[in-house]
Amino acid sequence: MSEQGIVTDIQRGSLRDGPGIRTTIFLKGCPLRCLWCHNPEAISPRPQLFFTEDRCVRCGACAWACPKDVHQVRSGSHEIDFGKCDSCALCVDECNSNGLRIVGKAMDVDAIMAEVMADMDFYLNSGGGVTLSGGEPLFQHSFSLEILRRSQQAHIHTCVETSGFVAPAKFEAVLPAVDLLLFDYKATTDEDHRSFTGVSNQQILVNLDAAYQLGKAIILRCPIIPGLNDTTDHFRGIRALDQKYPRLRGIELMPYHDFGNSKRPSIGLAETPLDLRVPGETEPNRWLEALAELGCAKVRIG
Amino acid sequence: MTKIDDFSMELKFTETYRRNLSEHIALREARCLQVQFPATLGTIQEGDRLAGRTQWGWVGFSPHNAPPNCAYGYFCHEQKIIEAVERGNIPLEQRDGVMEMLHFWKKENSKAKVEAAFTPKMLPVLFRDEIVPLPYNFKPMIAQPIYRMAGVFVDYQKLVRLGLPGLRQEVTEYRDKAKASGGDHLLFEGMLLAIQVLADTCTHFQKQAEQQARACPDPQRVGQLNQLAEVLGWNAARKPETFYEALQLSWLYTLVSGSLELGRMDVYLGDLYVNDVEQGVITEDEALSLMRSLWKLINQLFRDVDGRIIIGGRGRPNEANADQFALLALETTRTYGKAILPQLTLRFYEGMNPRLMEQALALIGEGHTFPLLYNDDVLVPGVANAYEVSREAAEQYMPLGCGEIVLDHVGFGTPSGSLNVLKALDVTLRDGVDHIMGKRLGLPTGELRDFHTFGDFFAAYKKQLAFFIEILADHEELEYVESGKQAPYLYLSLLYDDCLPRGKAIFSGGIRYLGGSLESFGTVNAADSLTAIKKLVFEDKLISADRLLQALNANFAGFEKERHLMVNCPKYGNDDAYADDIMVELHDFICNTVRDQRKRTNLDWYLNVLINNKQNTILGRWVGATADGRRAGGPMANANTPAGGNDKKGITALINSIVKPSHAIHAGAVQNMRFGYDFFSKDKEKLEATLATYFKKGGAQAMITVINKGDLEKALVEPEKYQDVFVRIGGFSARYVDLPRDVQLEILSRKTY
Ligand code: SF4
Ligand code: SF4
Repeated sequence: MSEQGIVTDIQRGSLRDGPGIRTTIFLKGCPLRCLWCHNPEAISPRPQLFFTEDRCVRCGACAWACPKDVHQVRSGSHEIDFGKCDSCALCVDECNSNGLRIVGKAMDVDAIMAEVMADMDFYLNSGGGVTLSGGEPLFQHSFSLEILRRSQQAHIHTCVETSGFVAPAKFEAVLPAVDLLLFDYKATTDEDHRSFTGVSNQQILVNLDAAYQLGKAIILRCPIIPGLNDTTDHFRGIRALDQKYPRLRGIELMPYHDFGNSKRPSIGLAETPLDLRVPGETEPNRWLEALAELGCAKVRIG
Repeated sequence: MTKIDDFSMELKFTETYRRNLSEHIALREARCLQVQFPATLGTIQEGDRLAGRTQWGWVGFSPHNAPPNCAYGYFCHEQKIIEAVERGNIPLEQRDGVMEMLHFWKKENSKAKVEAAFTPKMLPVLFRDEIVPLPYNFKPMIAQPIYRMAGVFVDYQKLVRLGLPGLRQEVTEYRDKAKASGGDHLLFEGMLLAIQVLADTCTHFQKQAEQQARACPDPQRVGQLNQLAEVLGWNAARKPETFYEALQLSWLYTLVSGSLELGRMDVYLGDLYVNDVEQGVITEDEALSLMRSLWKLINQLFRDVDGRIIIGGRGRPNEANADQFALLALETTRTYGKAILPQLTLRFYEGMNPRLMEQALALIGEGHTFPLLYNDDVLVPGVANAYEVSREAAEQYMPLGCGEIVLDHVGFGTPSGSLNVLKALDVTLRDGVDHIMGKRLGLPTGELRDFHTFGDFFAAYKKQLAFFIEILADHEELEYVESGKQAPYLYLSLLYDDCLPRGKAIFSGGIRYLGGSLESFGTVNAADSLTAIKKLVFEDKLISADRLLQALNANFAGFEKERHLMVNCPKYGNDDAYADDIMVELHDFICNTVRDQRKRTNLDWYLNVLINNKQNTILGRWVGATADGRRAGGPMANANTPAGGNDKKGITALINSIVKPSHAIHAGAVQNMRFGYDFFSKDKEKLEATLATYFKKGGAQAMITVINKGDLEKALVEPEKYQDVFVRIGGFSARYVDLPRDVQLEILSRKTY
């Protein structure tokens, strides 16, 4: 059997994760803890229970099925002790309302490649290909590497959406198999980076530099969160990178959205303590203007 | 309401028919036509640049364009007549006559003639005399006869080439030959009278235009009316020599012949159009204004499922000129404003002038539902195979109404029956008995529990399907035979190939190919149901046969677990071989069985069509809960589009699935793709790549709607504000807010990309 990994989702006919029509594979597990995380269910590397409260009719079937006593269903409430759950899926099969599912499924590379290859004609006609996303796709390093290598052997364009927070040796090992990097740039100072994401940015910048020096195609992706990093200093930092790396393919600003928050209780995470503000409709344009004033020309809204 | 309650035309028509009962059917029809026209012609209205409106009577003759619920041929609208009787303002001297007329047509109308000839095998399966207004006209039947002679595509090119005098001359020569050789010369006499009716129609409108011009205070309008009168007068006596004349003549032929299709306009009008523009006879703006007038007439005369104008594609003799006209037609649709008709249809192939497709996509992107897209690279070889004709003949394929395909003026193939594929599965589970009516409809092939393997069960289902298909094929043949006995359909016989040289009427051995088609509905739900039965009952044995039946009978009440299992079975539309293979097997079986009916009957072809109109919803109302998890009475999926919301893997997987069923064994399949506006505006290149890939992979056809779900949801709440939201329901485009609620919800449940 080929290498196995944990996949949260495979999205075919994807339009937003690189050029052309793509198949995006979302891999589970991420070492960062961004305050604005919009995929909290992709953080843990293991499969986990996901509860959609809207659909629950409080029938109690899951409580009967669960050997670990995870579900407490009463007339007006359904409490879940996520800590006790071992993701055996017994309750999922019993829920007729599709209220429960397990996020994250073990798949081997063969199965993934079969799905990837099915859309070959679409990649050819649109200049698309495969994108690895996450979580942090390089967290499952050897699994990612094998998907990328096998795609490349099949002449499929490969793209990796990464935080760059990977051991440099591992990062450099995947680079030959990557055609395009969508590389996150979240904060300019190390201090900010630590406070926003929980990790230092030093290793990330080393990796970015290594990829650039190797001549890799890179698009910088900058999540902009009002109140956190919509600052002149950070915009200057973006501009500085732009100047330092003139061959960057593009810089995309990714306006914050709060979809992630609603998913937190579904996997047993506490509500986020921060009240982050979603940018208004015209706000992103102002960021663009600010960056343009600094001389940054290749920036656009992602 | 004086017009409606004055039955003088109807009485005279009836009297003429009766007086000519023992006359040759061609003379009888011609004399009836003389009563019908110009009596039922409407008036030229303000702004009309073309003449040609009608107000049908409640008794009359028309192959297809009879008033709704009147069937076809010699028709009599009993319901309207009885309503008039009840209103009580029929002129005194007409009253007895009207009742007598009603009784006379009961047995004599064309539909009744077919029904009277039903074979013993048809009697218990096809119901009779049940026409009531939509949406109730469908009883819980599996096989449903349809009465009409739809898809009239006459040889407009010949009409334009010869004009009325040329046609008259040709028919006269045939008449003389027939007379000399002892052939059926009276058929030709009838045709000559019919040509005269058309000439009289021209003159009638000419006079009307002149009269209006005299009374009109606006000098610009006077100029237009005089020009129109001239064009009409010219057509009455001479062959058309300008674009304007040809356009007017072809429209009057459509109107008087009772056709609802306009055919390859770019072929028959392209040369004159380009010539006139080049010679300065007409400006492009002027041509556009004439075309918009035609669009208006079509919208007022036709019904939502018809009105095909076909542009582009292979097999056009003067392609460059035709392309110019095609661009004009696209521009007409763009500037006319969003409308239900005409169903402008773009045929395309690799290597065709790319401007046509560019313009087409631009229109669709603006929210127009037209043009519909047909891929010649797939359809021409497909039609050649399905119809067993040469490639060259196949190049003249024409999609009609909802998407059935016929061959331009050489082959006729009205869809005269519909098959509820899902309901046939319903009865196969229950020994051939319909559990809703408690009545046997199908063959006694056993109950689900009697089958030991899935293969056995599928075989029994196929046997049931074949039983209904044979009856519908026999019915199609019968419809032609009886129609031919009663009338020669003169305007069709005049302009369908081979009728004149053979000296025979279209349905009596005149036409080169007499075919037919069967509209099938519910195949996708049936395939998904089969998949669930195979997996749950026979393979994984998670639900017993009896329990499955109990769950379906109970419409899943108390069987939520079972329904959950059914819903989670693989479904067609996700590029999943388990489900798609069953769909392909079922599709192939139905198409091939239908196609084989030519061996049993005298039809030159008989082919399945997978179209979608409202029938998927209407027929679904009479189908119980099904094993794909669909609840009782719920809509069935459209054509071979996955059932609402079942395609979960994205558009590429959907496309991979929908190109699997073969396109070379049927007479047309409709593929809806509704794209969200965002996709169109922001990802245009990716959309184009998606469509290009779909067509390259064997996609035959696409009906594209650009709309977002939010629009439709809001339209449900505030319909008055969303009058302009148009959606395609497969075969036609409809104002969303005008649709029945369950049709609206079904559309809403489809996926938007
Ligand atoms: S089985 Fe599903 S619907 Fe029932 S209580 Fe559990 S989560 Fe809710
Ligand atoms: S997945 Fe297994 S352990 Fe977790 S809640 Fe469901 S039944 Fe209990």
